Amino acid sequence: MTNRLDRWADPPLLVLASLADEPRHGYAITQDVAETMGVRLSAGTLYAVIARLEAQGLIEPLDAVDRRRPYRITMAGAEALAQQSSRMRQVASLAQARLSVRYGLTGA
Amino acid sequence: MNVPPPGSGETGPDHIEHQESARRLARAALLLYPRAWRARYGEEIFTLLEDTGGGMRAVFSLAWHAVPAWIWPPRHLHDRDDRMRASLGTVLLAWSALVGISLVFVQLTQFQGYRPAGHPIIGWCYAVIDAAVAVSALSAAAGGLPLWLLMLRRARREHRLRDTFYLLLPVLAPASYLAALAATSRLVSHPNGFSGLQFLGVTIAGFVAAAVACAGPILALSRLRPRGPAVHVAARCAGVAAGSIAIAAAASAIAAVGLSLWAREFAGYHQVAQVGGYLAVVAIGIVAATVGATRGLRSTLARPGR
Repeated sequence: MTNRLDRWADPPLLVLASLADEPRHGYAITQDVAETMGVRLSAGTLYAVIARLEAQGLIEPLDAVDRRRPYRITMAGAEALAQQSSRMRQVASLAQARLSVRYGLTGA
Repeated sequence: MNVPPPGSGETGPDHIEHQESARRLARAALLLYPRAWRARYGEEIFTLLEDTGGGMRAVFSLAWHAVPAWIWPPRHLHDRDDRMRASLGTVLLAWSALVGISLVFVQLTQFQGYRPAGHPIIGWCYAVIDAAVAVSALSAAAGGLPLWLLMLRRARREHRLRDTFYLLLPVLAPASYLAALAATSRLVSHPNGFSGLQFLGVTIAGFVAAAVACAGPILALSRLRPRGPAVHVAARCAGVAAGSIAIAAAASAIAAVGLSLWAREFAGYHQVAQVGGYLAVVAIGIVAATVGATRGLRSTLARPGR
């Protein structure tokens, strides 16, 4: 089994997580997501996600620099990311606890 | 702001050629997106593809995501009137094709007086087709005529001759077609009317005339860019017209399958290729009409963009 997240990854969540610490433009987001989360976002997926997050008010565009427009997470986006991260942490804890009891696996 | 260095730093001829190729393909893929979407994100995507080198994966990804960009456009790119006008054009084309298909079907069944005994489903389908086509035509007229008159009045007031001509095409094209048909029918010496080949020619000419008739208002819509209540009413009526013609087309498809199953001696309905081709065309028309009408209706219901 591959150690990449691609099939289970939720692209909007990955983009929000990438923007959580600082604004990034499209290329910087793809690089960050690839390096830190092991997922390669294609151009179509990335901009479909950016358009959706922008429409939902979870990210906002900044002024373009050299044709590259950075995006910044909004307060609503940060709250949505925090909620989702909390849910994922609960699921991960539950999964690890049960795997540990049943199979003796503790995760990576 | 931490920004990783874009590109690999290569400047060789192969790299430049690769970038050019990616740019061309990306431009082609971006043409699949709505205009507002391209205007907002097009330049950024070009830059991203230059930075990453593009490639076929990116092009396929862009092409694939163009579908939801049309069906569920982001709210902040929502020019309601623009979307309504675009959906009106799509619905008009699909509606005309489905009306044409329904009329051909009626010509090849009901006008021949054919109603197989013992198979009431086909008879019900005939009734549904008649009623649905009538409702659809009335809805199209109720929504389309006020908008058409509004645009025609404006085109004449502003002395826009080309737009006036485009707007008159829905009258001129069918009138020319009918005049040519009347003249041709006098020349036909076949004792039972048109032969099969002649009927095919007349049918194809009819669809060409319908396409020309549709092209006029579609061009006028994109050039005059009307806004306001007339466009909203037209989009709502287009929804009713598209829904009812889709029902008529579906009924004709059911009747065609019924004829091929239960009335194999009748006309060419026992030929799988013909019936299959007919069903495929009907399915494409129904999908185009309903998707276009849904987009228009969603635009009428949507809140104004932020």
